[in-house]
Amino acid sequence: MKKFKFSPEFNTRVAATVARYPRADAALIPLMQEVQRELGHFPEEAAQALANLLGISYARVKGVLTFYTMFRREPGGRYLLQVCRNLSCHMAGSVKLLEYLKGRLGVEEGGTTHDGLFTLVAVECLGSCGTAPVMMVNDDYHENLTVEKLDKLISDLRAAAKAQK
Amino acid sequence: MAEQILLKHKVVSLDGYKASGGWTALEKATRMEPAAIIDEVKKSGLRGRGGAGFPAGLKWSFIPKDSPKERYVVCNADEGEPGTFKDRELIRMNPYLLIEGMAIAGRAIGAKTGYIYVRGEFAREAALLEKCVGEARVAGFLGDKLFGSDFSFDLHVHKGAGAYICGEETALLESIEGRRGQPRLKPPFPAVEGLFACPTVINNVETLAAVPAIIEKGGAWYAAIGAGKSTGTKLFSISGPVKKPGVYEAELGIPFKTFLEEYAGGMAEGKKLKAVITGGSSVPVLTAEEAMAVKLDYESLAAAGTMLGSGGIIVIAEGTCMVDALLVLAKFYHHESCGQCTPCREGSGWIEKALRRFEEGGARHGDADLLLSVAGNMPGRTICTLADALAMPVISFITKFRDEFDAHAAGNTCRMGHK
Amino acid sequence: MRLKIDGKETEVKPGTSILEAAQAMGVLIPRYCYHPSLSVAGNCRICLVEIEGAPKLATACSTPCAEGMSVLTSSEKVRAARRDVMEFLLINHPLDCPICDQAGECGLQDYYMEHGRHKSRFPQADKVRRQKRRDAGKYLVLDNERCILCTRCVRFCEEVTKTEELCVRERGDRSYIDLKPGARLDNDYSLNIADICPVGAFTSADFRFRKRVWFLERTPSVCAGCATGCPVEVHHSGGAVYRLMPRPEEGFPAWLCDEGRMTYKSLRAPGRPAAAFCEEGNLKPAAGLRFAASRLGKLKPEQVAIFGSPFMSLEDNLALAELAAAIGTRNFCLHFSTEPGIKDGILKNTDHSPNARGLSLIHSAYGGYTREQFSEKLASGEVKFILGRNEEVKAALAAAKADIPSSVFSFSDEPAPGRACVLPAASHFESDCLFINYAGRLRRARAAVKAPEGVLPVWQAADRIASMVGAPIRLETRAAVLERLKSRIPELAGAPLADDKAEFELK
Repeated sequence: MKKFKFSPEFNTRVAATVARYPRADAALIPLMQEVQRELGHFPEEAAQALANLLGISYARVKGVLTFYTMFRREPGGRYLLQVCRNLSCHMAGSVKLLEYLKGRLGVEEGGTTHDGLFTLVAVECLGSCGTAPVMMVNDDYHENLTVEKLDKLISDLRAAAKAQK
Repeated sequence: MAEQILLKHKVVSLDGYKASGGWTALEKATRMEPAAIIDEVKKSGLRGRGGAGFPAGLKWSFIPKDSPKERYVVCNADEGEPGTFKDRELIRMNPYLLIEGMAIAGRAIGAKTGYIYVRGEFAREAALLEKCVGEARVAGFLGDKLFGSDFSFDLHVHKGAGAYICGEETALLESIEGRRGQPRLKPPFPAVEGLFACPTVINNVETLAAVPAIIEKGGAWYAAIGAGKSTGTKLFSISGPVKKPGVYEAELGIPFKTFLEEYAGGMAEGKKLKAVITGGSSVPVLTAEEAMAVKLDYESLAAAGTMLGSGGIIVIAEGTCMVDALLVLAKFYHHESCGQCTPCREGSGWIEKALRRFEEGGARHGDADLLLSVAGNMPGRTICTLADALAMPVISFITKFRDEFDAHAAGNTCRMGHK
Repeated sequence: MRLKIDGKETEVKPGTSILEAAQAMGVLIPRYCYHPSLSVAGNCRICLVEIEGAPKLATACSTPCAEGMSVLTSSEKVRAARRDVMEFLLINHPLDCPICDQAGECGLQDYYMEHGRHKSRFPQADKVRRQKRRDAGKYLVLDNERCILCTRCVRFCEEVTKTEELCVRERGDRSYIDLKPGARLDNDYSLNIADICPVGAFTSADFRFRKRVWFLERTPSVCAGCATGCPVEVHHSGGAVYRLMPRPEEGFPAWLCDEGRMTYKSLRAPGRPAAAFCEEGNLKPAAGLRFAASRLGKLKPEQVAIFGSPFMSLEDNLALAELAAAIGTRNFCLHFSTEPGIKDGILKNTDHSPNARGLSLIHSAYGGYTREQFSEKLASGEVKFILGRNEEVKAALAAAKADIPSSVFSFSDEPAPGRACVLPAASHFESDCLFINYAGRLRRARAAVKAPEGVLPVWQAADRIASMVGAPIRLETRAAVLERLKSRIPELAGAPLADDKAEFELK
């Protein structure tokens, strides 16, 4: 396995993150999030590197990595689309939204579009039931969604990505 | 509208918070004896708003007085109970209220450090909290020797990473410590051995945010609001087919009917009430008839065979297939079971698979009883209450809407035209 | 504090769990995740008991006894909970008992009979499938599908070996135990994981499918792999040893190291001699002794050297000391210098020999040369014949750069030095014998299997040789050996050597 190198930015942040806790190993999850923020996912090689950094076992890192659903173990699309499928969103039509997205993007749940722009997943309650149905795009909530709104959102995201190229 | 304690002001800046009367309670608290603060909170009758409803003052009083260890205040902002979205709203409305409440709690139990555990998806809210904590620190509302007293207190924001179970207080502690979020065996309780094995108080966002007003105006003032042992106001999140879904602060004891009609604007156009989940998805469902007769407080809801829980109200309209709705919830609990205890790990999967047969075909006569039996074998036999949280909807949905389950099993048809 | 368990009063120390208190009274509460030598996890939920007045059942493993508590361990509520937990444990279990090597010592099989007996109501097709048999380490095979996620293995690697190879991955019923990709579970104590796994998830690669456990006979003994002298149970059948298992004994952890467990292998090593072997070729063991005696008889006493060994028992070394005295040679060595101690914080000793303390007692009583002096003697050319254990004789000859004829006792397939006549000897698996461990504790090995036809323990061989050369030492029986040990070695004067059960520790 290739050796993992933390970025210089990551390294500058470690001390401050660790300082928030009385024990260095408590910084595990924030540091994993930091790696993921930089890379878009948490690569397998980073597990041992982070374990070494914090003086803990690989097993512990891997156990944590696989417990929490927000860690992405594989690279995904630029936009992570998370459609809430819990009860309020379900009653408000999230199934249809998900079906629509599958069709429009040509992917199944968990899949990433060929252009690498979108990864589509269905997730459990996003805690925004009052504005159901809800979908997250990366860190942002998109609420009271309809197929029309979704359609425009996807187009806008595509345009934004194109503009950034 | 009832008295607004939590959602009174939309506060967007530290100055704004100060102008709204912020920090006076903390200043007062720094001059109070810790025991007097706890007494005031006890007097207020404030109960845990996260779901369990445990008296907050009593919880604080469990912190050993003579322990030489550090103590911690932890705020549970891992809002993940389906149907609940009040903490997010509260943080957006007035993040300083929570910060001040935590500092007062710190003063009460002798803690120097607090952690706010925000669910990972609430990245914006976590960032907002971090910003506000930073401002408060600069302005001297957090940090060393607050208001010239000997009390020092600081806060850190800790983001979750996607696990409903971390809303369980000991799983949350495990998560802050950088481990898998698996609930701990109790005893020891967190008050004795909590975060980093130190005495710890863990309260929900809403509970802590209620503290400044209690300290400022007195426990007796707070206790006069509400109904009986359900004192104060409560944030209710209401979702489903109502005219105005959202978060509303209402006095405990408000009839559901009043709440639905006056706060949420009544049922959405053309929708008729079928059932209500009153306290987040984990509590037993009420039929429309039951719901319309019930008051929203701890005791009344318990008497009606359900719970106030987190105050996450999910309204279900006629035409909704209860089998389908229950399958959605069963999937959720199966997905979120941490996997530690046998009954929950195995039972949650079993229930989802059995329910799936009702929806996808293959359910047999008697399978509803099988589900009742399996769900009945789970509660009270696990470390935390996630098993109970699954069993309660399963048992109540099937018991109260049995005909729908039997129709699915018999003809594999759904009266709701769902399949 | 006092409490009642199933209506019977008992008194326990504060901090005692209900499970421990019940066990002390002879009430065995079922358990999977609980292990007395590991931290309490409380996850399997099979040990639920009823505490009168409490609304919920409590896990006996994690609930401390309280003054005045009344516990019911087999009320209807408790039995129902156990039955239900058994049902949950089995829904996703593959139920592949016929092809499972845990059969016969499986917690699922045992408790199903006792507490389960439910009708199956879970469709086979719905079972969660996980990875079947795979190689997890030098001695371990892992079957994730059989795992009940009790985490004993994880805790063992965290708390005992502190190697932390294992963790639970994923969550809910997707959880499974795993290692780092490409890593192996090869710590020095890995086979304990097969022992403590209550089901057939971790099985021993060394033992699996060699014998069904119900055919095994069990003989309590000790491990001779190092100076720690751990208590073991020798599992054997039809004269063959199949495995060594840890045996509970006060003062010892419940583990064995992998190296110690493998010591039984020397018994069946293909090169282990069952016959004597001399320049003339193979001889029956008795003829080998006659051959040694004839060599010895032709020499003057000072031309004979006798060499004791910390790898041989008290009995063996005593007999060699007696033989040296009887033939009147001063050229003998019962000396071995060592600095024993637990080197890894668990069990493994810096001293690999099981009986250095015992040998030193005999050295004190009988005298003889130190190893250094002995080596000089061998180099001097005076000695024309050596009798001793193969390995030591070979090493001593090499160190002294001497080429002296010898008769060597062999317990293993270790090749003998040149000009040696090999005398097969019965090991501690094949004869009752005593060692004294590094801490001065008397260790009893018991014959579990028979030695090959005619193969004797060294003490008996020495007695025969002594008789043949006309210098009888009168150690015909083991009782005689034990009596001699008591009469010649002051430290053992009052030791209960013949009493199988009594413990003894040097002052």
